[in-house]
Amino acid sequence: MKKRAITLTINGEEYNLNVPVHYTLLQVMRDQLNLTDVKYGCGRGECGACTVLLDVGKGGMQCKPTDKKTTYCTMSQSKRKPILACIALAATMDGKSITTVAGLAQNGDLHPVQKAFVDESAIQCGFCTPGMVLKAVSILEKNPKPSEEEIRNGLEGNICRCTGYVKIVKAVQVASKKTATGKR
Amino acid sequence: MAESVIGKRIPKVDSREKVTGQAMYAGDYRMPGMYYGKVVRCWEYASAKVKKLDFTEALKMPGVVKILGPDDVTKKPYNTTVMKLLVPEIFGEVFGEIADLNIFNKIVKHQGDAICGVIARTEEAAERAADKIKVTYEPLPVLMTCEESKAEGAKKNGYLFTPLKPGNKAFDLPASFFPNQRYGWNDKDGKTAMELFDKCDYVIEDTYYVPKQKQCQMENHSYVAHYDERGRLNIWTSTQMAKPVQVLIAELFELPLTRVRLVQTIVGGGFGVRLGMIGEPHCCAMAMAVPGHPVRMEFLREEDWVASETRYPGHIWFKCGFKKDGSPIALDSMYMARKGGYYTHGSGPPFCFAAFIHGMYKWQAMGCQTEGYFTNEVPTGAYRGYGNPQLAFSGEQMITRMCKELGLDELEWRKKWHKGIGDETWLKGVTFASDGLNDCLDVAAKESGWYEKKKKYAKQTGVKRRGLGVSVMQHTSGAFPMLLEHSVCTAKLNEDCTVELMQQISDLGTGGHTAITQMAAETLGFPMEDIHLRSGDSDMCGFDIGAHASRTVYCAGPATIEACESVKKQLLERAAQLLEANVKDLQMKDKIISVKGNPQKSISAIKIAKEGVYNYIDAATGKTIGIPGQIQGYSSFFAKHCSPPFGACISEVEVDTETGEIKVLKLVNAHDIGKAIHPPSVEGQLEGGAQQGLGFVLTEEYAYDKMGRVLNNDFTDYKMLGPSDMPDAKIILIESAPDPIGPMGAKSCGESALMGPIGSVANAIFDAIGIQFKEAPITPEKVLKAIKEQGLQK
Repeated sequence: MKKRAITLTINGEEYNLNVPVHYTLLQVMRDQLNLTDVKYGCGRGECGACTVLLDVGKGGMQCKPTDKKTTYCTMSQSKRKPILACIALAATMDGKSITTVAGLAQNGDLHPVQKAFVDESAIQCGFCTPGMVLKAVSILEKNPKPSEEEIRNGLEGNICRCTGYVKIVKAVQVASKKTATGKR
Repeated sequence: MAESVIGKRIPKVDSREKVTGQAMYAGDYRMPGMYYGKVVRCWEYASAKVKKLDFTEALKMPGVVKILGPDDVTKKPYNTTVMKLLVPEIFGEVFGEIADLNIFNKIVKHQGDAICGVIARTEEAAERAADKIKVTYEPLPVLMTCEESKAEGAKKNGYLFTPLKPGNKAFDLPASFFPNQRYGWNDKDGKTAMELFDKCDYVIEDTYYVPKQKQCQMENHSYVAHYDERGRLNIWTSTQMAKPVQVLIAELFELPLTRVRLVQTIVGGGFGVRLGMIGEPHCCAMAMAVPGHPVRMEFLREEDWVASETRYPGHIWFKCGFKKDGSPIALDSMYMARKGGYYTHGSGPPFCFAAFIHGMYKWQAMGCQTEGYFTNEVPTGAYRGYGNPQLAFSGEQMITRMCKELGLDELEWRKKWHKGIGDETWLKGVTFASDGLNDCLDVAAKESGWYEKKKKYAKQTGVKRRGLGVSVMQHTSGAFPMLLEHSVCTAKLNEDCTVELMQQISDLGTGGHTAITQMAAETLGFPMEDIHLRSGDSDMCGFDIGAHASRTVYCAGPATIEACESVKKQLLERAAQLLEANVKDLQMKDKIISVKGNPQKSISAIKIAKEGVYNYIDAATGKTIGIPGQIQGYSSFFAKHCSPPFGACISEVEVDTETGEIKVLKLVNAHDIGKAIHPPSVEGQLEGGAQQGLGFVLTEEYAYDKMGRVLNNDFTDYKMLGPSDMPDAKIILIESAPDPIGPMGAKSCGESALMGPIGSVANAIFDAIGIQFKEAPITPEKVLKAIKEQGLQK
């Protein structure tokens, strides 16, 4: 069994791992690291239960010259892209950083999306919830004020069998309003 | 009293653990020394005999601990369902319940049948070893329809699924109980429905087909079993029926209940699929082969499709007769259901199909015959609605067609002829105690713009045609008196005057834990956070049926209320003694018990609770300080009714007559809940049920190849409606008819959600293009074919 040494950051914690090259990220997280907040639903990228957020851009201060004299700087949030841990090979994740639903809350405060899911009773059995919340976070990070259609399209790929998506869409809308006004 | 929490939109008690990923589902458990158990299934055949089983190469694989074949585990046959525990033995016999399944099987009766099991140190090792097991099969006839099964069963030396069921007929209504093998009633002169058709002005006859639908709960079936050093078999499972499954496991492995501990973990969706045993026997059998080592077993998604039960598909025949004015005279019907490879819930859904006809309209005579034949498909069992969705598709389309042909207002017809207070419900002898259906219909009509839009869409031209459809339903709250409905609750008053409820409540995501906690808080007048529901562990909880038949609030709620009333009563009695007052003069508010009209004369409930536990002798007087004894309330509650809820649903669709696509634009579902304990949960049930109902009527069905192998065992090929497919769904809770029997006026909602969307969408399509579809799901292919053959009828 071929293995590969990788460094993988999960929820801000760095792991030095020796992973079999054929293992998926989901297998490594659930079976090697016991991070069971990432769920196995279908194993072939169809249901979204194993969604995690991959950091793809550097956060913090980003500056670019707009003309010869001034430089325009913005504080940007790190950019995070949803990926499916059940079809991502762990060996390809060397040097990457990912966020799971267990890493969303800060200082004990739920992320606005998590809070909205709780407040709107958008959770039933809860099995799709980790993936669904992360997908919603990625939608709002890309577009803080999405239309209902944009939310629904954005959530495609994440299956919920309990809610009919009604309260999930509502929760994303509520979170969108809160994040747009800077409230947490 | 603290402010009432009933009917409040409070967050669910379990939502924070679920939204942070801390919730532990059965597949999330990891234990020291844990092995992995893999069931080897037959994927190649749907019907075959195992000629040879060769473990030689597999046993050489690294990490393998043991491999178990059919002869290495108990050969006691079993039935997956808990039904036999819920009816008197004589009933089980009359209905023909049988045990026809083995843990590992030598005859394959459907694709996915379990052949043997590999125990290994890791999941990967188990899977690699499983690949090396050589199974030699001898193919047997593949029977995929009732007709094929019946014909083969009738042959001399033809293939029989089980010698216990001649002719491969799994089930029919026994003539000893049901005259003419029909469930129903005769008219006042004793005439059957069949005898009344001659007297009718208008007779309609039709055959419908209903699909094999999968529950598709998001959590795969997962288990950990551990046969420990004390000789106890422990199992962690997400079953819906914790206590009955514990009993079935004890029976299967011939252990006393003291040696079987079942822990129900958080349940990742159920919808009926976990109503009984699925992988529990296999996981337990493997754990018992390696005492001291927990064995974990997790279904792959593709296994779920072939090895856990589905909805009953089949053909439904209806013949109904009316007077010219629409008065319903006679209904005769037949449901011919495909059973799949094993008996499981053999009698349940077909009988309930008949029962839900029984509960709906005021026929002068009504009869329904039901039969089930074994087929080489994954067995059919319980799925949300349990016979009622099949009726919604067929029966409600028939009523609409009759109204159209007789020129009647179909909404008014339903108002006039549905059963109501005093009429018999789905079960003979049990009458409706409340009825909010007309309110549901009025509200749904108003919200959907029924009359205006009906007029507007009456004359349409163009490619896209719109239509509106209506559908009504009644369901049940628990299964009394057909089945046992028993729930036990122990409410223990802690020394700080908070309460632990020890009650086995299956919350499949339904909000059951929240509603039960609310009911306890309300009864005691304590804040929600002072109530903790301890559920799931058979070492702690008393008897409970589990989650089925939309029963939790209605059947288990009263046990909670009774136990909490007892706690409150004991607190007041002690206060009366300490205050030298009369119990009936006391009141409790914010945990202070005082004499009405004399608030100075009071005592703290917290003090009573504390002194009950930490009870000391006063050295000076030699008497106890306060009253000794920890207060505990207990209830062993048996439901006495089934308070069926009603519901009315109106859907608006747009049919593209060139592509056959059906778009559901709006869905209004008004539900007669009686009283919503936790409104967001009730709405959630109806919103989520709509997705499943729409799936039934539009997209979802198993596809099999000629060999009986499933072609769409994944979420790409089995199409469920996604977030952008769902219509604008408006759920309206009707509380104008609180139920006099239900706890706090509540009736059920869990299963009710599917029927309205199914019937109303089918009727809306009929309204849009004038063609009625007799087969569900109504796919674009069927729409185009029908338009081609019949032309647009509108």
